Amino acid sequence: MTLVSLVRLFGRRGVGDPATVALPAIAFAVVTLCVTVVAGGVHAFFALPGDQALVYRILSLIALVLLGVPLATLGASAARLAARRRDERLSTLRLLGASTRLVSALTVVEATTVALAGALAGAVASLAALPFGALLRFDGQALGAAIWPPLWAYPGVVAGVMLLAAASAAIGLRRVMLTPLGVRTRTVVPRVRRIRAVIAVLVIAAAAAAMSRLGLFGSIAVVIAVMLGCFAAVLAVLGLVGPLVLRGFARGWLRRARTAGRLLAARSVLDDPKAAWRQVSGVAMVSFVAVFAGVGAAFAEASASGGDPVARTLAADIRSGVLITLIMSFAMVACAVGVNQAAAVLDRRALYVALDRAGMPARVMHAARSRAVLAPLLVVTIGAAVCAAVVVLPLTGIALFLEPLTLLVIAGCLAAGIGLVWAGLLATRPVLAGVLAAGLVEV
Amino acid sequence: MRTLIEARGLTKTFGATPALRGVDLDVSTGESVAVMGPSGSGKTTLLHVLAGITRPDAGTVRLHRGAGVVDLGAAGEKRRSELRRTSFGFVFQQGLLVPELTVLENVALPLLLNGVARTDAAAEALRLLASLGIGETGERRVGELSGGQQQRVAIARAQAVRPAVVFADEPTGALDSVTSGEVMTALLASTVNSGRALIVVTHDEAVAARCGRVLRMRDGMVVAESGAPAPAAAGEQEPVR
Repeated sequence: MTLVSLVRLFGRRGVGDPATVALPAIAFAVVTLCVTVVAGGVHAFFALPGDQALVYRILSLIALVLLGVPLATLGASAARLAARRRDERLSTLRLLGASTRLVSALTVVEATTVALAGALAGAVASLAALPFGALLRFDGQALGAAIWPPLWAYPGVVAGVMLLAAASAAIGLRRVMLTPLGVRTRTVVPRVRRIRAVIAVLVIAAAAAAMSRLGLFGSIAVVIAVMLGCFAAVLAVLGLVGPLVLRGFARGWLRRARTAGRLLAARSVLDDPKAAWRQVSGVAMVSFVAVFAGVGAAFAEASASGGDPVARTLAADIRSGVLITLIMSFAMVACAVGVNQAAAVLDRRALYVALDRAGMPARVMHAARSRAVLAPLLVVTIGAAVCAAVVVLPLTGIALFLEPLTLLVIAGCLAAGIGLVWAGLLATRPVLAGVLAAGLVEV
Repeated sequence: MRTLIEARGLTKTFGATPALRGVDLDVSTGESVAVMGPSGSGKTTLLHVLAGITRPDAGTVRLHRGAGVVDLGAAGEKRRSELRRTSFGFVFQQGLLVPELTVLENVALPLLLNGVARTDAAAEALRLLASLGIGETGERRVGELSGGQQQRVAIARAQAVRPAVVFADEPTGALDSVTSGEVMTALLASTVNSGRALIVVTHDEAVAARCGRVLRMRDGMVVAESGAPAPAAAGEQEPVR
């Protein structure tokens, strides 16, 4: 069998198409769109003149750090799905004598091609989105033409997304066994260790100590670097304790589970709390910052009302920035959830078909999958928001009293974001329906 | 013995490929039937049609239950799904147990789907596992069990709702000959000996030899049948639904 024949076989359509082709492509398009818009935003903020320019630059960089997590999660998920939907053909290629290296290379090339298609679509979509972004007003003026990133940014972003897809596919393949007998995800579930909680406490203590001694660092550049470093460190720490928290909740859900759907959902989270956390971690961080910054903005707005117009503008701008970051994060998490769930359905297609044959209604399967995502999402969204509110408790109370609308808008955005993720889950229903329907055709 | 399944003139075509061509079959309580034939002969389609997984293009499948007769071909998807959940049990080649659930939870799952309280479902699951000699595995994960143990768990799961008929699709296909014999013994003991019917699709002559009747299929038709309907073996019979 020639290489051309192998590639031709690899390119044939399989079960789950076209949803499994479209989902990663859409995911990559959303990634590109978000990166381009964020890059445009950062570009615009760096072009802002005036005394507050430095503050806006720092805030835009914080938003960039926040969006980086869901962005990376989405990219990795898209790449994993692109690899996994190939299972039968990958196995056939191995049976036909193709080496693991060749099959892996084909998978990486395919994921990168899907990424290219998605990235080009996303770049085109950004051309339509950026004019709306140009209308956003910050520091008392519309961002205008400054939001258009330099031309070189477009090929840069597309190349970056392709690189991310190639790297994620290569890394993702390490978790997938390519054998002549089939493709399976390695089932060794990483353990969640309590030492993580200890490390988290130490990192938070170190970050708090550094933040309280910013004056000692001298130059403003070092101060900004330390602030961003502490921020990133605390976000990373959330990633350490998040799975532990979810595991604790899942144990409670398991104890209380009275139906098959709830039992399956609880066990699904408990089986791999890290994976459950990874899927929603982007929202946890944004939710925390949204409430934290929202309270700050509301308080600042209330304090500045009728007073310093610069402070008032800054407060309103922080609120706008928080909302934009929040919406973009939820959009990316929703895409990542859709892509992850589609990959999970394909990975467990034999089990789903068997459960369907044994009489498990598809709605129970959907309910279990939805609960396994939405329950952790609610925990991290509400949990992170409550944590942030508690951290700034006196200010929260004052802000709620003086500027309830600001906090209500943020709460509404969080609720809408959860709805968006739910919509992402709904989008994977046809994948399960396709798998169940395909399972019936056996002679 | 009383008739449980009565199939007449079953025909099924996938695209241009005829999978079943006028198959008739009766299965009674306490019977074990092996369905053999080369790949593509229609045996899996026959199992799917008899179990209400797939509707035949023509012909009827009547399920005689205590409460009356149900025509599986005429029943809607929801009704057939409910029947599969309440009246049939299934054992697949790979076990196909839910990997994140414990052994006990896997066996209790069909009962939970039928609305049984979790504590009652767990107690029944434990009883079934113990009857198959694997009661001590209840809290373990499926991945920690051997292939033979996993098939025993699948057999226990198939018994959970006390089904009228158990359908087994290559239940020993992934096992060595010794384990295969042990699994068949467990399968027969928990079905035929309890007044249930067992329908096994298999390529293995040794498995077929353990069944009361053997149907041989080719090109969608039953071309040979050996063995007479055997009476139920002595022993306590559980009520079937």
